[in-house]
Amino acid sequence: MVTVVETRALTKRYGRHVAVQNIGLQVQRGSVFGLIGPNGAGKTTVLRMLVDIIRPTAGELSVLGETPRRAGAAMRRRIGYLPGDVNLTDRVSGRMFLQHIAQLSGVVAEHKIDQLAERLELDMTRPVRDLSKGNRQKLGLIQAFMHEPELLILDEPTSGLDPLMQREFLAMVREASSVGQTIVLSSHILSEIQHAADDVAVLAQGRLVAHGDVASLRLTSVARLGAVIADTDALTLHTRMQALEQLEDVHIHPTPDDRIHRLTATIRGDMDPVVKALATFQIRDLTVEEPDLEESIIDLYARTK
Amino acid sequence: MTHANPQTAGPTTVGRVFLRLVFDGWRGMFGWIIGIAAVLGLYLPLYPSIASDQMTELINNLPTELVEVLGYEDVVTGAGYTQATFFGLLGYVLIAIAATAWGAAFIAGTEETGRLELTLAHAVGRVQYATESLAALLAKLLMLALVVYLMIWALNDPSELDLSAANLLAVTIAWASLGLLSGTAALAVGALSGRRLWAIAAGAGVAVLGYLFDAVGSTNDDLQWLYDLSPYHWAYGNSPLAQGFDWAGLALLWGLCAVFIALTIYGLARRDILG
Repeated sequence: MVTVVETRALTKRYGRHVAVQNIGLQVQRGSVFGLIGPNGAGKTTVLRMLVDIIRPTAGELSVLGETPRRAGAAMRRRIGYLPGDVNLTDRVSGRMFLQHIAQLSGVVAEHKIDQLAERLELDMTRPVRDLSKGNRQKLGLIQAFMHEPELLILDEPTSGLDPLMQREFLAMVREASSVGQTIVLSSHILSEIQHAADDVAVLAQGRLVAHGDVASLRLTSVARLGAVIADTDALTLHTRMQALEQLEDVHIHPTPDDRIHRLTATIRGDMDPVVKALATFQIRDLTVEEPDLEESIIDLYARTK
Repeated sequence: MTHANPQTAGPTTVGRVFLRLVFDGWRGMFGWIIGIAAVLGLYLPLYPSIASDQMTELINNLPTELVEVLGYEDVVTGAGYTQATFFGLLGYVLIAIAATAWGAAFIAGTEETGRLELTLAHAVGRVQYATESLAALLAKLLMLALVVYLMIWALNDPSELDLSAANLLAVTIAWASLGLLSGTAALAVGALSGRRLWAIAAGAGVAVLGYLFDAVGSTNDDLQWLYDLSPYHWAYGNSPLAQGFDWAGLALLWGLCAVFIALTIYGLARRDILG
């Protein structure tokens, strides 16, 4: 395993305002690493520090084995970077724009720009400043991918892309990862991370609130319970369920039959006592919904407050 | 793994930022050249009709303070007329605005649109970007200076200005240096703050204060110390179009430019880029 990005106790303060505090991350070569959190959580701040656009206040930072501040321009040839806000006002055509950027980056293989533009369905003959938000985003993606960098750092890469293009982008990410390129991307749209990322770090208010592979993140979280229970009265069922510390938001819904009740609740933590308690009743139907990441994140935010 | 080329190598990026800044603004450059040519083409051909005895008499009858503020003491000589109408007034305004606009756009302007972030995330260093911005500013000012020099020289005989080629060169360089001062002031404040409006205020402020100190200093002997603070006076105080190069004045101008240049490089190299 080769670590491509590593941060230790990474902190960025602006005067008294703390943008990012005590972040420790590790990104392995060839992996897709997702940084998620709401706007203002510090995602962009972390990504900008990786390419030396801003400098850490404290902590250690290593990218491709070097310190961004000291490594300078040569290190950034090996990186493809998509800024969070691609606000381009150039009069030149998309193709010219990309050719100009190519002169500032690593070697761009012949036809690479055309291939990427074709894939993302971008018309490169139009002036950059006349492009829609989505098409500017495509330009931003092309300039990040075109020199086939070892490390891709993409800030909100799918913003402005329609669902079809989002899927194409995710395919590009998987392909890049399969040939050994490392991808760090940020998002506040969780489904994007869910399908693309091997590892996820969750940021909230500048702090790291969770960190791990996508599967394990779900385990630590909540599940939705739904059950239809027969042959009991509502009070008994309610009392019994309320007593379980693993259950929250317990609701008993009446049905036309007053001996049958529909139960909904949120399971937090260990599943076993819940199932055993339910088993003492007659169960007509039972569903335990795997939480989507969104619920997990909301749950994580709540717990960090 | 098919991806086995760690790209530490690549084409050099030296000069790329310079070329983009110079060529992407060709429309603006064209506009400035038209403007300057229009001013010169309107004013200079009028000289033969102004250089008359009546004009001398009129100037003599005006309050001396007014004449001095306007710089019209020698307006009846070709050199005095060219200085008073172009280099000292409209030409000064034009180059101060152009240089300030460029100086503010190259760093603070690109930073505000997010373009600087994109450029600096590639293989371009901070010091490199600052240096190439300065070079682009200098190149554009030299282009304007060349146009002014050639245009005035072309009008010299038809307009009976009787200017010397060497003195014309001296004043054109002094004029371009005043532009460089406003431009580097805008660059420096842009590089230190990242804010385009502050950069514009700095470039314009240097130009306006320089002119005011010179004008106020000329009204009263007790206020002549203001001359020492006026870049405008450093450039034009010894009438380079009549007297030739004033190296002491130019040294002061270039010295202050050097301070702004150092601040530009220092500012951009040490600071966070704003989003």
